[in-house]
Amino acid sequence: MKITLVKKIKADGSPCQKCQDISDRLEASDQMKLIDQIIIADESDPASEGMLLASELSVDRAPFFVVEHDDGQKEVFTVYFKFVKQVLNQITSEEEELAEIMNDNPDLDYI
Amino acid sequence: MSITENDINQLATDYKDKSPQDILTLALETVDNIAISFSGAEDIVLVDMASKIKKDFQVFTLDTGRLHPETYRFMDQVREKYGIQIEAMCPNADQIEKFIKEKGYFSFYQDDHKECCSVRKIGPLRRKLETLDGWITGQRRDQSPGTRTNVPVVQVDAAFAGPNGQLTKFNPLANWSSEQVWAYIRANDVPFNSLHEQGFISIGCEPCTRPVLPNQHEREGRWWWEEATAKECGLHAETNKS
Repeated sequence: MKITLVKKIKADGSPCQKCQDISDRLEASDQMKLIDQIIIADESDPASEGMLLASELSVDRAPFFVVEHDDGQKEVFTVYFKFVKQVLNQITSEEEELAEIMNDNPDLDYI
Repeated sequence: MSITENDINQLATDYKDKSPQDILTLALETVDNIAISFSGAEDIVLVDMASKIKKDFQVFTLDTGRLHPETYRFMDQVREKYGIQIEAMCPNADQIEKFIKEKGYFSFYQDDHKECCSVRKIGPLRRKLETLDGWITGQRRDQSPGTRTNVPVVQVDAAFAGPNGQLTKFNPLANWSSEQVWAYIRANDVPFNSLHEQGFISIGCEPCTRPVLPNQHEREGRWWWEEATAKECGLHAETNKS
């Protein structure tokens, strides 16, 4: 299994706050060592490795994780807590999971 | 019948210009275990359309505990008129007690609405969606220029998962404007929430909803004390910007 983390740099060159938050969380939980590679999706450069990967996998948000299984199947995770729960077997709280869903999906405001 | 991600992507293309009734028919006929999410507002048109397509269909609502009395009365009116059950999904008691103890009843005016919505709305929604293979929403592209401009008519739900992992989300009204919704309501004599007669357009929880003035966008009637901010997590190639 190979795990790739794709982090975003915004079109104005500034870093994505959530990408940094997730990096900090992975470091704090000593799980960064389980990430095999980190690549950058630079919004100002559609040819950047992360932007190309996002396009190839039809991902429209960042950060995201790509888990490549031994049989070659690729699985994409755009929800951090879903990733750490399912792939890293971390126990997560429902509060954290719900907060992430709410933050990442503003379209749910009108449900 | 099971539906693959590729099928869904193809359907999104095939149905992108179809009518809400066509999309709703597709949803109800393609996914057996599916339900309509009804907020007690304009999405009543989905209930009306569904009642003309088939007799048995599931409807659920997110009862946050903070809805207007008018909305609760409207729910009962709809239940009676269409002869349907509306399953009320309520917040987890332990979570809401803890939240109120820590933050009180109106913390959203100081913080923002997300924490309260997480407990009162997203938790119950996720609990319901975990039992379904598909759900139908009243989301429209014109509801919020910032966050709904790309709502497709059908999509793989990236935020939630059904019992088999995948969840299909149908948005039959995605292409419709508010004017089209109201033209349908009037033409078909569909009941509506009496708050609409008082200037409310978008209707949610009582503390977070207010009427709007003529020509104000409906978004201005919700969470008006918060500044609209750009969606942080999207990936937008600079060259694709218009």
